[in-house]
Amino acid sequence: MPITIPEPIEERGKKDARRHREKQKEALKERIPEIIAEEDIITGKRDRIVKIRIRSLDIPHFRHDQSEEPTVGVGQGGGEPGDIIGERPNPDGPYSAGSEPGVGYIETEVDIQEVIGWMLEDLGLPNLQTKNIKEFLVSLGMEISGRSTVGPRPLLDNRATAKEGIRRFWHFLRYLEKETSLAELVCYDALKKAQGILTDALEALKDPNFQATSTEIEPFAIIYHDDQRYHRIEEAKTPESRAVVIAMMDVSGSMDTTKKYLARSMLFWLVEFLRHVYQRLEIRFILHTAEARIVDEHEFFHTGESGGTRSYAAYRLAGKLLDDEYPASEWNTYLFHFSDGEDEDPKETLQELRKLFERKINMFGYGEVNTEPLNDRRLLRIFSAELPVAAIPDQKNFIAVGQNNCPFLGMRIAEKGHILPVIREFLKKERWQPYE
Amino acid sequence: MNKKDLERLKFLEKEIRKIAEEEGLSTTEINFEVVPTQRVIEGMAYNFPINFSHWSHGRDYDRIRTIYEHTQQGIPYEQVWNFDTPRAFLVETNPFALQAVVIAHVYGHVDFFLNSRFTQHGRKFSDIAEEARNAASRFRKYEERYGSEEVEAVMDAGYSIQWHQHPDVFYEEPDEEMLRSRLIERARAKLLAGQRPRNLAERPLTPDQIAGLERWIKTLSTKTPPEPTFDLLGYTTKHSPLPLKPWMQDVLSVIRDQARALFPNTRTKMLNEGWATYWHVRIMRRLFEAGLLTPEEHGVFNTMHARVTASSKKRFNWYRIGLALYEDVKERWDKGRFGREYERCRDQYQKSHWDTSAGLGKQKIFEVRSLYSDGRAVAELFNDDFIRSQNLYIYGQVKNSNKIFDIITNNDAESVRQVLKRILGIHTPKITIQDGNLNGSNALLLRHHYTGQELDLAYCEKTLENIQHLWGRTVYLETVENKVPIVMQHDGQRFRKFQP
Repeated sequence: MPITIPEPIEERGKKDARRHREKQKEALKERIPEIIAEEDIITGKRDRIVKIRIRSLDIPHFRHDQSEEPTVGVGQGGGEPGDIIGERPNPDGPYSAGSEPGVGYIETEVDIQEVIGWMLEDLGLPNLQTKNIKEFLVSLGMEISGRSTVGPRPLLDNRATAKEGIRRFWHFLRYLEKETSLAELVCYDALKKAQGILTDALEALKDPNFQATSTEIEPFAIIYHDDQRYHRIEEAKTPESRAVVIAMMDVSGSMDTTKKYLARSMLFWLVEFLRHVYQRLEIRFILHTAEARIVDEHEFFHTGESGGTRSYAAYRLAGKLLDDEYPASEWNTYLFHFSDGEDEDPKETLQELRKLFERKINMFGYGEVNTEPLNDRRLLRIFSAELPVAAIPDQKNFIAVGQNNCPFLGMRIAEKGHILPVIREFLKKERWQPYE
Repeated sequence: MNKKDLERLKFLEKEIRKIAEEEGLSTTEINFEVVPTQRVIEGMAYNFPINFSHWSHGRDYDRIRTIYEHTQQGIPYEQVWNFDTPRAFLVETNPFALQAVVIAHVYGHVDFFLNSRFTQHGRKFSDIAEEARNAASRFRKYEERYGSEEVEAVMDAGYSIQWHQHPDVFYEEPDEEMLRSRLIERARAKLLAGQRPRNLAERPLTPDQIAGLERWIKTLSTKTPPEPTFDLLGYTTKHSPLPLKPWMQDVLSVIRDQARALFPNTRTKMLNEGWATYWHVRIMRRLFEAGLLTPEEHGVFNTMHARVTASSKKRFNWYRIGLALYEDVKERWDKGRFGREYERCRDQYQKSHWDTSAGLGKQKIFEVRSLYSDGRAVAELFNDDFIRSQNLYIYGQVKNSNKIFDIITNNDAESVRQVLKRILGIHTPKITIQDGNLNGSNALLLRHHYTGQELDLAYCEKTLENIQHLWGRTVYLETVENKVPIVMQHDGQRFRKFQP
């Protein structure tokens, strides 16, 4: 029989398709350093999904270099040289033109949480536990918790009170029966006429001329003062892990767009990680030149000013902010300062920094955004010399880590590639634990 | 498909076969299977009705399925394999008329399979489908036993070099020892003739030449491969110093066999599709004339045919141009518009009315399907008139930061021919294994035979890494970068390149 309808067979495609997607994801992970510096992520809206362009995987093979090939193909339909026969968006984004073998772009959506997950995995911290972080009791407002016999009128619990009143009614009725040995209906009639006042009812029943008119018992609530029931309310508290990030940036003339972009990338990821750890995270922004002021996020990243650089002004303002709004007894505190390291008064800056340490902050991160080599006159060198810090060995870039409970992390950022190593250092367990 | 339709389709299949035979097509028993789309997609992605698992198949499956689900397009109307008993899929959701076209189309393909010297060569691998089916279950056991990552790595490496074979499709790779003794014999004969000339044609050799030949014979006795080979995968599989475990050799030889079986088909894609299209038109016309199809069904066919043969501004449509080529060739040979006299005629009026009633059209198109490859068809049959009448042009890309534009660069016939030859020709760069025991250290030396096109460096690095995975020792590749000869090297740890 030449034409047949065969039995269905096992579906293989889906399983292998899954494997391909798995491999794509592996390829994606290898590109984390590029991805985290991707402009779309940093500057995009604050939604939690980012679009990343990835290539579908190809089997590597020997092939001719096609990049220089002027001719793409043969088409049909007539037309003269120079005619445009098609157009489409240029897929070569800032990093997509990598050297990985591959054909065709697939745009895939990745949750920032997922990227963070990969990074944590990459850093060997698959389960970033939140149990080590400090929790504080915070108020959720008032809540009803049980009843009380006293309280303000508006909190009267009508239902519970009425219930008590009915109970009292039956008690009184039984009492009258017992005292007078009269029928229940008669006692009820007297109680009703006495409007629930027991002594009056008793008096009435003692009168031999008392005539009962009621035909059936209709219980009613007799409410004495003792029967009133009120809702009890109290303040609700819950343990919450919360933290504040105070971001400070030097916006003196020498901080150009590129430097600010690097600062922003760095800050973005540090904040994302803290967001991952804490239930509640607040971020405050301080800009400084020779003066410091509190600004909103937009201004923080978009302001360019000129003038001198006195970092201590920012530190002082941050200290005040901590004292006024974020005491260490209630908040985990992370401070980050980005500057190109030129400071007019390093001595005073150092002193203010020490004062910040006294406030029991969790971490002070100092990022020196500078493409030039380290320089003795710059803040990073000065901090490293004056504070108990040690440089991380085997790093291409300079990263200094505070020793002996000194909550300091200093790093030089000259290019996008420096972001990941610093985050890696930052994420080491003890770095996000509070220093007691 | 209901029973009534199935019965009617079976009847039509017999009629179609009858018509095909009357028209002079070769036929054979064909297994048609009515299958769901998912099965067709699998068939496309896996190259065979059933094949072993690999992520690259999954990738293709995913891509085809996505395109199909979003556009209801992108899967072929028909799928046919050049097996001993050819096998074809009919998509169950296709309208009835379409099933009839597909059967007619498949008969065109089968005639091509049976007669084209290229696809005939592919038929040597008649049990390849059976082998693929068995490999699927065998390889699954390997995955369980040796780990799926291990198996995958070997498959990846095999796939990397699967298409490398002798540029002559018909070349049979000789056994290494036979080749060696043949080469030694040849050298000895030359030596003998040079030492004691028997006639004036045999020139005596100088002592230097004799010493050289003797050295060469000595080298040949141990040299591997005795002469450079294009069969990268075959040689690596057999001679890897690792050595490869039997299951690895099994995986690699299945991959190599499949590539060998599929490769000849790529030489005749345009001619094969054009041929099948040419014949489905004629067969459908006859079915309609015989009253076996309703006018509505004929309408469905016309719509489908128009879609398949639509011209595309950016794509070389095999179906359309292949069909046009056979029609053009038939007319030219029917009217005697070929040969020196016609070519030399300069009178355009006379040329356009040229008709010697030669009546050789049908004979010629059958000859084309038997003997020609796509490349030869372009060189011999795509004359200037045909290219102009088909409105063919070549186009390139111009980019700015936001957009890519496709722009017609040329529509001159010679340029179109050159680009077509490239597109329809062999894309695999010519690479041979020169030495499998470089400097006595078992290193592998490959040579890229540079003909003006350089290799894609990023791909080279990964490919060398894959070959190294199979070879286990350092792998070298001689090639050219920026017009300067260089050597690339991968030792399993890292890749580097240097100037020799």
